[in-house]
Amino acid sequence: MNQVWIAIIAVVVAPFIGGLLAGIDRKLTARLQGRYGPPILQPFYDFFKLLGKSKIATNRTQFIWLIAYLVFMITCLVFLVLQQDLLLLVFLLGFAGISFVLAGFSTKSPYSHFGANRELMQILSYEPILLLFALAVYAQNGSFMISSIMENSTPLLISLWPVFIALVIALTIKMRKSPFDIATSHHGHQELVKGIMTEISGPYYALVTLTEWYELVLVLGLIALFWSNPLWVGILIALGAFILELLIDNVNARLTGGLMVRICWAAALILCVLNILYIYFMRGVA
Amino acid sequence: MGIIQTSQVKSPWILHFCNSSCNGCDIEVLACLTPLYDVERFGIVNMGNPKHADVMVVTGPVNYRTARVLKNLYNQIPDPKMVIAVGACASTGGVFHNCYNILGGVDKVIPVDVYVPGCAARPEAIIDGVVLALQKLSKAVGVAK
Amino acid sequence: MDIQGMLAVAILLPVVAAVLVFLIRQYQLRGLIVIVTAVALIVNSIYFLKLDLPMNFTPDNPIWGTIITVLDYAILLFYIYAGLSLKNWLVLIFALTQIIPLAWWEFGVGASHALEEIKPAFLIDNLAVLMVLVISIIGSLICVYAIRYMYDHEEHKKLEKSRQSRFLFWLVLFLGAMNGLVLADNLMWLYFFWEVTTLCCFQLIAHDLTKEAINNGARALWMNSIGGTAMVAAMIYLYNANGGNIEYLSLSNIIASGGVEAFLLLPVALMCFTGMIKAAQMPFQNWLLGAMVAPTPVSALLHSSTMVKAGVYLVIRLAPAFNPVLGMIVAVCGAFTFFAASVLAISQTTGKRVLAYSTIANLGLIIACAGLRTELAIAAAMLLIIFHAISKGLLFMCAGTIEHQIWSREIEDMEGLAEKAPLTTFITITGMLSMFLPPFGMLLGKWMALEAVYAVPLAAILFVLASAATMVFWAKWLGRLLQVTPKLGKKIESLSLSYSVPLWSLFVGIFVFGIGIAPLYDRFIKFAVDNVIPIQHAFTEGWQIILPDAATALSLEKGVGLLGSYPVLPLFIVFAIAIVLPLLFVKLKPQELRPIYLCGEHAGDVDTDEWYAEADNVSKLELGGYYFESAASEESLNAWVYVIAIALLVIMFSIALGVSL
Repeated sequence: MNQVWIAIIAVVVAPFIGGLLAGIDRKLTARLQGRYGPPILQPFYDFFKLLGKSKIATNRTQFIWLIAYLVFMITCLVFLVLQQDLLLLVFLLGFAGISFVLAGFSTKSPYSHFGANRELMQILSYEPILLLFALAVYAQNGSFMISSIMENSTPLLISLWPVFIALVIALTIKMRKSPFDIATSHHGHQELVKGIMTEISGPYYALVTLTEWYELVLVLGLIALFWSNPLWVGILIALGAFILELLIDNVNARLTGGLMVRICWAAALILCVLNILYIYFMRGVA
Repeated sequence: MGIIQTSQVKSPWILHFCNSSCNGCDIEVLACLTPLYDVERFGIVNMGNPKHADVMVVTGPVNYRTARVLKNLYNQIPDPKMVIAVGACASTGGVFHNCYNILGGVDKVIPVDVYVPGCAARPEAIIDGVVLALQKLSKAVGVAK
Repeated sequence: MDIQGMLAVAILLPVVAAVLVFLIRQYQLRGLIVIVTAVALIVNSIYFLKLDLPMNFTPDNPIWGTIITVLDYAILLFYIYAGLSLKNWLVLIFALTQIIPLAWWEFGVGASHALEEIKPAFLIDNLAVLMVLVISIIGSLICVYAIRYMYDHEEHKKLEKSRQSRFLFWLVLFLGAMNGLVLADNLMWLYFFWEVTTLCCFQLIAHDLTKEAINNGARALWMNSIGGTAMVAAMIYLYNANGGNIEYLSLSNIIASGGVEAFLLLPVALMCFTGMIKAAQMPFQNWLLGAMVAPTPVSALLHSSTMVKAGVYLVIRLAPAFNPVLGMIVAVCGAFTFFAASVLAISQTTGKRVLAYSTIANLGLIIACAGLRTELAIAAAMLLIIFHAISKGLLFMCAGTIEHQIWSREIEDMEGLAEKAPLTTFITITGMLSMFLPPFGMLLGKWMALEAVYAVPLAAILFVLASAATMVFWAKWLGRLLQVTPKLGKKIESLSLSYSVPLWSLFVGIFVFGIGIAPLYDRFIKFAVDNVIPIQHAFTEGWQIILPDAATALSLEKGVGLLGSYPVLPLFIVFAIAIVLPLLFVKLKPQELRPIYLCGEHAGDVDTDEWYAEADNVSKLELGGYYFESAASEESLNAWVYVIAIALLVIMFSIALGVSL
């Protein structure tokens, strides 16, 4: 019963945290650009305004995939707070991403298709990093369960710092920040009209915003796992990574999709692979 | 007065459409986004996509070719929506009035809520126009009396 | 029914039915025979579950041995004839490399008398029964599907003389040969059934008698003949190296002492190589890719329940006889195929070719699991065999149905099929989702495989990259199917019963087996795994799959409790909430529809996909898929793939040789 309450609280609280973080994001970005910036609560205003807009859509299928996107993202979050299997969580996150891509594909709109194809390239870039993150956790902990990470007294960051760096790169893609905001992007950037989001409007757009808040909390939660005992250090590290992303966003221009895949597969994957091999090697020596 | 109505006033997203203007007003519209004026303070964001927009900011007089596009874009904006005609040309046709290819002001094609005069309209005037449009919107949705 | 009768139904009934089908020229009667055979095979395969396993069986009458020997040579002589008449020297060479050593061994050395003494002929254990079930149920459904399909196929091609009976002959015969193959324990018999499947495969691929079909059939023939040659070499070696003793010409004996007797490693590696060729592993993937020129039921049969599954079956069967190093290299070979095929699939524009690459990839995954040789990995391999057979059988039948509606195999032509053929598309999409997404069985298998792969980091990394690529190529294809402009497409769908019954059966199968995976595992798969690697752990808990910590393998001291867990039922509930409920209840009012955004240049209303191009010309909007041609095309990657795959095989054989000699 306790677990059910934890899950419910997480599902209810996560969007508020995500929305607030998005607000801080916009404020900080504005300050970095020498502007005053919108109020911190601005993302919530946007969200509720979108809910109040009239429903328009290009077809029905798109909406179905958007709901799948939201539901699977929430499931991922529940998996995280209930300390379930990390590898399965990553697969579920992959499905959530695929649902969004299919939403983009299910309308015959060129901009939407551009975005969906690029979103696929993003998945191709970050999915291996997340999977290798799970494998690295296994290599270190001997279990894929998140609960085993929480029980572990030595922080993962000490032995898995290269994976951490790779995960920060994946976070850039997940948060849709420059230089990797190629499928669609948030305020102040334009990506081929609005990329994959072009045909999604009104309450459906609100749905996607909500999902992105969940996603942000989820990915930051994964980063917090790097210092799980005590957890507040991990949360601070996650917030630090979040701020770092804002800096990266503001000092970078957008890269092409091909470059993104290459950077992720070359730099991030090699970091992960070396890290995992090192752990195996040390085990062999011991 | 619900939270949705309050939010509608606090988060106007803009679609900027240029008919056949001299680009004077367009530059002024973009100037609003710069750090000096920073309209994002009011939650105003330039979206570039009718499906996400609440406020349509139109510059320049309507000619026979842009009328079709203007109408199409207007239809793609979900309700509730506002239209602001920025500059003398967008309001009445301006110096292009009675030209062979010009229909006239924006209101010949789609309903306009706020007219912002000026040639070119100053950023302050444009922001003023948006605020006016928001007041009109808040009356429409029932936030203000 | 006793075991003799059941074996007769499983192996001989298809042969008899095949002959009947060949002789009868009437469409309805022929169809009836196929359906009756299918039902008999399915019922019979379910009866196998009631047996007290494992058990042996050897026919009393020695005449069977003689028949098999005679037919063996008949098939090989036919290969020689085929090689000569097609002027395909590769076919000829590899037929000769089989028949000459075999004849020399049996008659020159004089082994033929001893060979008759090999017992048992058949070994029926859980692994074999699992394969029989897959072959009989899914294979039979595909045969039923073929009845109508071939009729339409010939209608469309406007053939004057019907060749359907010939086609169905080979198709039904295939099932008998496969059943024999997985049940055989005597290596001579195994080799015979192996050759029969190769022969059926050749005949079916070449069925249309176009130049391309014959060429591709010949390619399948010579590549699999290399495997046959390796098998002959393995048998002769097993006999001679053991001083003319027939002890190791029985599969169960090899497995029993595989880890002990060092000299067995070379024949094991040779047979494993045979299996890998049949499973179309890199660098032998081309025969399976070429097989898609055949009518779709052939592809469905080859890819899901027969032929390639024979290859992975043999590798799994031999897994206990590997030594750790050979196991590791097999795992890397499989993982490499999984990775390379998944990446190559991204650049494919033909639907059936994507399916073919996906099959090769998944077979690689299964073989990699066999190479890992932990109980977890073997369990994953079995799950993958079952679920891959269901999903791939379904997908190929869908591909065939689509082909018969739009008369094209190109993914680009399938644009907006969701509107034109909603039912077919619905089933196809479910089939595709079941290949790579939670909560379906394939993903469960992949998840188990990934959790089992810790011992070989290189394979783990290849797995991870391949998983990501898998998502991409499926999503791209799904995207083309889904891309719809409302009310624009005309409905062109018509499904006859012979199409829809197999389609819906497998569709239901995906869900039933997916949801019931935990009981299925407990009651059945566990024992099949036990036939390969003795089981110590229970992997289920209620409706949940749990993986206990492998304390026996490579765990740390602190690793207590769980390795991982997979809540099957909750995930299906999530799937229902996420997709099924919206599908049923989300409705869109007509006035809520808007045309797409085309910078205001959209011409017309919601139901048009036209726009004002330059000079106000109204043009149709055309969208194409993105196939990553520059990065993932066959031209740019194949050379690398071949080099690496061949290098891996060389390493495999050097290890085997080094240990054996």
